[in-house]
Amino acid sequence: MTAGRFITYAVLVLAAIAVIFPVYYVIAGSIMAPGQISSYPPDLFPHGLFTGNYEGATSTTAIGRQYVNSVLQTSVITLSQLITSVLAAYAFVFMKMWGRTLLFGLFLGTLMVPWESIVLPNYLTITGWELGGQRLTASYAGTMIALVLPFLANAFGVFLLRQSFLQFPTELRDAAVIDGCGHWRFMRRILIPLNKPALMAVGLYVFLAAWNQFFWPLLIGDNANRRTLQIGISQLNDVEAANPGLILAGVVLSILPTLAIVIFGQRFIVRGLTAGAIR
Amino acid sequence: MRSVRQRRTATAAALLAVVALVAAGCGGSDASGDNASSGQDAPGADALDKATGVTKITFWHGMKGANGAAVDKLMKAFNAKNSGKIEVTAVYQGDYDDTITKYKTSVQQGNTPSVVQIYDIGSRFMIDSKQTVPVQSFADKDGYTLDSIEPNIANYYSIDGKLNSMPFNTSMPLLYINKEAFVKAGLDPNKPPSNLDEIMEAAKKLTIKQGGKTVQYGFNAAIYGWFLEQLTAQSGTTYCDNENGRKDLATKVNFDDEQGVKIATWYQQMVKLGYMPNTGKKTDDAQAVFKSGTSAMHLESTGSLRGYLDAAKGKFTVLTAPFPKLSAADTGGPIIGGASLWVDGPGHSDAEKRASWEFVKFASSPEQQAAWHTGTGYFPINSKALDLPEDKAWVAQYPQFTTAITQLHNTKPSNASSGCILGVMPQARKASEDGLEKAVLGTDPAKAMKDAADSIKPQIDQYTKTVKK
Amino acid sequence: MLLPCVVIFALFIVWPLGKSVSLSLHGSDLFGRPDAWVGLQHYRDMLGSAEFRHILWVTFAFVLLTVIPGVLGALLIVLLLEQHIKGIRIFRTAFALPFAFSVASASVIFATIYNPAIGLANGLLGRFGVDRIGWLTDPSWALISVAITTVWMNIGYNVLVLSAGIGAIPTEINEAATLDGAGGWRAARFITVPMLGPQLFFLIVISTIQSLQGFGQIKILTPEGGPEQSTKTLVYSIYHTAFANNASDFGAASAQAIVLLVILLACTAIQFGVLERRVHYK
Repeated sequence: MTAGRFITYAVLVLAAIAVIFPVYYVIAGSIMAPGQISSYPPDLFPHGLFTGNYEGATSTTAIGRQYVNSVLQTSVITLSQLITSVLAAYAFVFMKMWGRTLLFGLFLGTLMVPWESIVLPNYLTITGWELGGQRLTASYAGTMIALVLPFLANAFGVFLLRQSFLQFPTELRDAAVIDGCGHWRFMRRILIPLNKPALMAVGLYVFLAAWNQFFWPLLIGDNANRRTLQIGISQLNDVEAANPGLILAGVVLSILPTLAIVIFGQRFIVRGLTAGAIR
Repeated sequence: MRSVRQRRTATAAALLAVVALVAAGCGGSDASGDNASSGQDAPGADALDKATGVTKITFWHGMKGANGAAVDKLMKAFNAKNSGKIEVTAVYQGDYDDTITKYKTSVQQGNTPSVVQIYDIGSRFMIDSKQTVPVQSFADKDGYTLDSIEPNIANYYSIDGKLNSMPFNTSMPLLYINKEAFVKAGLDPNKPPSNLDEIMEAAKKLTIKQGGKTVQYGFNAAIYGWFLEQLTAQSGTTYCDNENGRKDLATKVNFDDEQGVKIATWYQQMVKLGYMPNTGKKTDDAQAVFKSGTSAMHLESTGSLRGYLDAAKGKFTVLTAPFPKLSAADTGGPIIGGASLWVDGPGHSDAEKRASWEFVKFASSPEQQAAWHTGTGYFPINSKALDLPEDKAWVAQYPQFTTAITQLHNTKPSNASSGCILGVMPQARKASEDGLEKAVLGTDPAKAMKDAADSIKPQIDQYTKTVKK
Repeated sequence: MLLPCVVIFALFIVWPLGKSVSLSLHGSDLFGRPDAWVGLQHYRDMLGSAEFRHILWVTFAFVLLTVIPGVLGALLIVLLLEQHIKGIRIFRTAFALPFAFSVASASVIFATIYNPAIGLANGLLGRFGVDRIGWLTDPSWALISVAITTVWMNIGYNVLVLSAGIGAIPTEINEAATLDGAGGWRAARFITVPMLGPQLFFLIVISTIQSLQGFGQIKILTPEGGPEQSTKTLVYSIYHTAFANNASDFGAASAQAIVLLVILLACTAIQFGVLERRVHYK
């Protein structure tokens, strides 16, 4: 092996260790007994499997419920964005209308508005709404609605799907229409099946973005059963400050779904998340 | 052609829908302002008697760890006793600061909790918010006597002559000591340092370095504004002007004067000389240092005692000593700190308000206060609790709790030891922490505290303006 | 068909944008509800205050500290992986792992590691005889510590994007280069990096936007905006002014929100103006 190759490997291995280390630490720490994890100097290798942290994390917190909340929130947002994006992209590509380019420009413009710039009025508005005689955010269902409402549509999905739909041959579509295929049938039977990769890409992107949301859920949920997993984890960090093992166990539980996606679905991610990068 | 027109109609409809929704949104946010002025009266007992089904109430609190577990026990005991009639749900909202912030937002949203635990320094704000029913009104209506509340404590939470909120968890700061560390350094753990200078002296002996690295700190404490408030009270001086805000609304804070600067200088020296680690403002982090046994002395609330005893089990012995004085000659006493329970009025039905009152009464009963005292380390606010056998047994088993009780009974009420009443007291505490932190990090203490005191001035003025309007 | 999107955008983006401007021209009552009209007062207060200049500086520093190491680090890793490495799959998965961590979970892990008393970071330093560092309590370290967390969180995504970019480079180009005797680093410098132009540009734009909007890691790692407000970025300040510290000043917070919007637009415009012209598109 030449010196150059050696350096290449050395740098790679060092970089890999630096990147993986926190991942190792969270797993190792989550099975360490309280005495070991806070020992000084630190001890990096667990002495056997200590499950107390997991028992603690699942029994002292509402982590199960928060999982459900997060899954609910994420799937509603993902599904809704897919539907609204398909509809809008379809209209932009296949329906000729007045002001189409201008409207599309406006759509793209919404992408330039950071959520943090408009979070305050949205907060005032949504928490001001009522549902069945009481504040929207006073009930569990209302809280879930408030959590997803502003994110039911996003121009990013519209943009990506429009790019994808544009590649669809117009002749094919005209032929389909002549065959008596209406908008809906054409969309359901032909367009959507043919654009599955693009839909996967958008879906995955939206899923991860929604799953990771922090600012909005922090403002909306006001009790443990109505918080999302992300807020739950950050509160666990606060409540169990003296008990790092338990915190890490909570983190491990919270990352399982996304960890599975990264390890087993890497190919999809590459395709999905780079969709914006490759034009 | 047709589809174009359809689309235009659709767009028009969309815009209409938007306008309608927007209008609805605006209408909604106005409504919360209307009922804010009413609902501060206490309804009679019949309101709850007439209510059908279970009256549900929510209780927001800022207790976690051992203290949070004690709150859950309290909640379960209450629900068991009132099964089928009242059901309380306790919700942890973060620390005291988070709780008052969340509460403030809930006022804005119009969905306040039925009962909320607010720290001592939030009292002025709570009164000005006009969102609560004074517990005194309930007691007067029912002819219920509040005599068994510790007079010192009742006094603290009475503003304008009436008890606004029910004291719940009352605490004072203590000096915590790691007994084994003292013995090892040849110091007598039964003769703890009693003022800041003595702490520095002892800390010097208690700090252990190995190869240029500190393995045991002589002392540690969070950069916590509460300590500064306490030390100021110990020195017998006021924290803000107009007699700590009791003669008239306070217009400025005093922590940039001699006492405040002395405290900041002391913090700075302790860190500079390596006797104390700077763990920042998070009390959790400072607590973790003491719990792990790497610090020999530590300042914290009596409310942390239970957690410390649990954490130190098998590692070291936790002892308690009275909170230090600023200077040896000081004659003042520490402020009674902690938090109290506020019953919310506006937006809650009469039955709910009564249920809240029941809960508040229950939480302050001798039995529950004894359970609370033994479960957490906070004082029992009900003087009868100390007479109960289980409480006596507990105090006998853990004499560390006695320090707090003695300290409470020795405190003579005065304007200095009653603490500053200021609407923006939470912000003032934060400002003082900024000042202390700057000093710890090297800024001239006098300048750091002056800047901090100046920074809070506009907020005091703004608040006064808003309230007087 | 455009209706759902138009309604959502109008309701939750366009209208609030107008409302933000309006809020920024009003004062707030005890609970943060807008009250009297104050005109441009909030903007005047803000632009005249040293604290606000400090916040802008922190925001700018945070962007630099996260974008540059994040993108360059990922580029280095990807170029190394290109040198016909054995076990490339394992390496690639390893580098992608942080991607599975949400902002909250990554921040919580690092909070544990940085813990001033019992944290692993100081423990490990101790083993090498280095004294404790105030990762999150020393104002000269706090922002760096938060940036390290952020870079770690982002590196997975950056590696994935660049790997995909490399995968899309036609093999003939590399083969041609090898025939010309341009192997290893020369090929990387003159062929691979220029060919990755679009991906690098994309990453820089996206990372800048994300850094400007970074919030969770700052809130979790350094509550109160860090020692001496050393991690108080613009977005954190918006949150802090409106929802923390018992402050509830929605008016002043909205003025900051408008400034954020302007900065973000300006940054993106500059990047498109300066960088995109140099990018080589296939």
